[in-house]
Amino acid sequence: METSSLDIITHAAFWGTVALTIAGASIAVFPRNILYNVLGLALALTGIAGFYLFLGSFFIALMQLLIYVGAICIAIVFAIMLSRPLHLETPPRAVPKVAMGLAASAIFFVAAVSVALKTDWSPSPARVADGSLWSVENIGHALLTRYELVFEVISLVLLVAIIGAVITAGFSRRLS
Amino acid sequence: MNSLSTYLIISALLFSLGLLGILQRRNLIGMLIAVELLLNSANLNFMAFNRFLTPDPVVGQVIALFVMGLAAAEAAIGLSIILALYRKMHSINIERAQRLKG
Amino acid sequence: MGAFFTDPILLATVLGTNLPFLSMVAILIFTRSNPKLSCRISVGAIAFAAVCAVFLLAKLYSASPLQYQTLWLNSGRLNIAFGYYLDPLSLLMLTIVGVVSCLVQIYSLGYMAGDPGYSRYFAFQSLFAWAMMNMVIAGSMLQLFIFWEMVGLASYFLIGFYYEKWSASQAGKKAFVMNRVGDVGFFLGLIWLVIGFGNLGIPELNHAASTQGLPQNLLTVSALLIFCGVVGKSAQFPLLTWLPDAMEGPTPVSALLHSATMVAAGVYMFSRIFPFFAASPDAMAIALAIGTVTMLLSSTMAMVTYDLKQVWAYSTVSQLGMMVMALAAGGYFAGVYHLTTHAGFKALLFLCSGIFIHEFHTNDMRIIGKQGGRKLKIPMVCIAVGALALSGVYPFSGFFSKEAILGVLAAQPNKIWLAAGFFGAVLTAYYSFRLIFHILLPKGGVEGKPHDGHAESAHEHEDEHHGYIFWAMAIPVMILACVSLVLGFLEQPIEHFLLHAVQAHPVQHVSEHGGGGSDWLLIMGVSAGLFGIAVAWFEYGRKGASRNGFLSYFPAIWKLFDCRWFIDIFYRKSLDTFVYGGLTSLFTKNDRRVIDGGIDGICFFTEGSGRVFSFLQSGMLQYNLLIMVLAAGAAVLYFLI
Repeated sequence: METSSLDIITHAAFWGTVALTIAGASIAVFPRNILYNVLGLALALTGIAGFYLFLGSFFIALMQLLIYVGAICIAIVFAIMLSRPLHLETPPRAVPKVAMGLAASAIFFVAAVSVALKTDWSPSPARVADGSLWSVENIGHALLTRYELVFEVISLVLLVAIIGAVITAGFSRRLS
Repeated sequence: MNSLSTYLIISALLFSLGLLGILQRRNLIGMLIAVELLLNSANLNFMAFNRFLTPDPVVGQVIALFVMGLAAAEAAIGLSIILALYRKMHSINIERAQRLKG
Repeated sequence: MGAFFTDPILLATVLGTNLPFLSMVAILIFTRSNPKLSCRISVGAIAFAAVCAVFLLAKLYSASPLQYQTLWLNSGRLNIAFGYYLDPLSLLMLTIVGVVSCLVQIYSLGYMAGDPGYSRYFAFQSLFAWAMMNMVIAGSMLQLFIFWEMVGLASYFLIGFYYEKWSASQAGKKAFVMNRVGDVGFFLGLIWLVIGFGNLGIPELNHAASTQGLPQNLLTVSALLIFCGVVGKSAQFPLLTWLPDAMEGPTPVSALLHSATMVAAGVYMFSRIFPFFAASPDAMAIALAIGTVTMLLSSTMAMVTYDLKQVWAYSTVSQLGMMVMALAAGGYFAGVYHLTTHAGFKALLFLCSGIFIHEFHTNDMRIIGKQGGRKLKIPMVCIAVGALALSGVYPFSGFFSKEAILGVLAAQPNKIWLAAGFFGAVLTAYYSFRLIFHILLPKGGVEGKPHDGHAESAHEHEDEHHGYIFWAMAIPVMILACVSLVLGFLEQPIEHFLLHAVQAHPVQHVSEHGGGGSDWLLIMGVSAGLFGIAVAWFEYGRKGASRNGFLSYFPAIWKLFDCRWFIDIFYRKSLDTFVYGGLTSLFTKNDRRVIDGGIDGICFFTEGSGRVFSFLQSGMLQYNLLIMVLAAGAAVLYFLI
């Protein structure tokens, strides 16, 4: 019985997370006010962090919260601060454009779902049910030995991105 | 809950919403937000495959980390481009950027 | 090729006929600016050619026909050869062409003196001489056709010689086009013959035709089609109106081409393949009808015109019709003999008229008469001689040839042809002597030229008349007058010469001098001519005559004859309606709307579609992304389903 009540709680939590994520994504896309969008994004990203928990990786969930919600959303808020609000000058929406967008994403959704459902996903035979493989230590160990290149490359990318962002923002500052 | 297809459908839904945002929003920052959604749905896909199919669960998580790092970098650069564009156009309405119209 | 230099006959043939070509090339390329040299080259060439022709005639007088040929096209059953065929007919015609061309060119030395196009004139005369001579001795029908066309070309050049004059260039064009129309039929006939028979050689054709070697329908169809060529070239009905217009050319040209030689080419060709034609009675019947109609029609036209050259032009058409009648009735010798004598006296008539025209600068016979035409003794006498020959008066040559023709016509079962022949003889005599009396005995006497004083002009003319121009024009005229006198008595030798080789292929030729009916015929022929002369005398010759002509009492008929029986008007109207109105407007519309429109349409289409496609370059990022996503989604769905 406890397993069933635990199951019920788990299920409820899962579907709650789903609802949260979808709601957040909707708020991120549909309203006109850009602040609503950012907040919606934060909500959706938090929901996804919850998904990562359900998928068994505590570390990645935390990383998600840290990087996305903590850094990126804040950066976006700063950008919003520095720009003129759009809703003061918005002309009315072009209906054909919206309709075409809806159609395109609907088609894509249908395509992706059909691929997902039609494919026969078979787990790899080399799968072992070892709980220690999911630990943070394992990730760290892998990052520094087997997937060292990933680690270095991401560092390089971040470096280049920082430099690039500074320069791009800086040049145009001199022009205006 | 414990089936791969659930997660795949959810990530497909998130991707579609992100796509809708890109195609339809006029605000540049709004488009950027939608792009983040796209990246996240891909990430979710990776994690789901990692949980259900892969032999070594480390791989999926490393990939997820990688994608997150790249997303951060991309967001930073995107924002600085938006700033530069704003200074030029004095607006963040993408429909004003039509210098390439033929 | 060795035979070329050792055989005097071949040498004479080739040199004689091709030397005028060299002279034409030399004149056109080198001596255009030197008139004296040009005329000497040309006259020298033609004189040499005439000598060669006479030499050949003498050499081959009693020999059998000679044939030189090289095979040109050989394909299965098809054999086309090029070469020379020297039989009595071609030798006779060669002599005629050579001698008359020589005389006319000598005459032109005087007539064309001072003309700016002097060298060009002699070049084209040489061209004509070359083409005509080669046509005469051609060994195959194709070769004959080629030179036939060249002769037409020379005619075009010479008719339109005074090209700055609009009517002259139009006349040249008309002549060429009408000839061409006939030649279409000719060529179709040749093609039909090639398909059916396979060989276009003249002796082969004649031999096969006379020995029943050809099927009847092949014979008839191709004979009729080839006869179209005769209709075009020899100005038979309905293609007869180009010849009167061809009088726009200089008079020596009219004398040579359009009386003696070129227009006789059609008749010559008819007689060349006479066995071939004779083997098809239907074609002969049609030819007879056409010849008769031509003869009568053009005689009527000659009765109402006051232009000197036009009278002789219509007369030429009429006499050609008579020749065709003779040949079509089966009289090979009669037709050819008339061709010979006609060449002589018609050239004479034209050259004399040329002297009058050169002197008085007008073609109108009334003005010439009034201004003292009869004072020029040599041309007056010679033109009278020519007219007497034309009317068939004894002892001139025309008498003998006309008798021969009437004899042939009498042998026809249907006497209507004979009656037409008599009627034609009456008309011929009438119109020729109408002209003679206008000049000889003008109305109200001679008044002299109005614009010069009499004394100085007489003095000038004395000087001029005794210069080389005078003798250049007088000598050929006198020679031709003698020929017209003498040729009649050479009938028997010529007949013997022409027909001795004909025994080889049995031609159904009628004996023109046998039978008791010939006396009656003789009397009728002579009286027809004299009757015509008497009517002309009555109306124009005697003192106090009204000089109106009996036709002036019927103005409608006068108009009919004057307008050439409305043939020209009919042609003009049908040309305007069908060709210009129909075909050319169709082609113009096609050119403007379809072809130009098509190309314009392609341009507009390209431009328009470009404009449509440029809408794709909206410059808006989201539309590009939209297309990308749609495409990707569609591709995925397509591969799934």
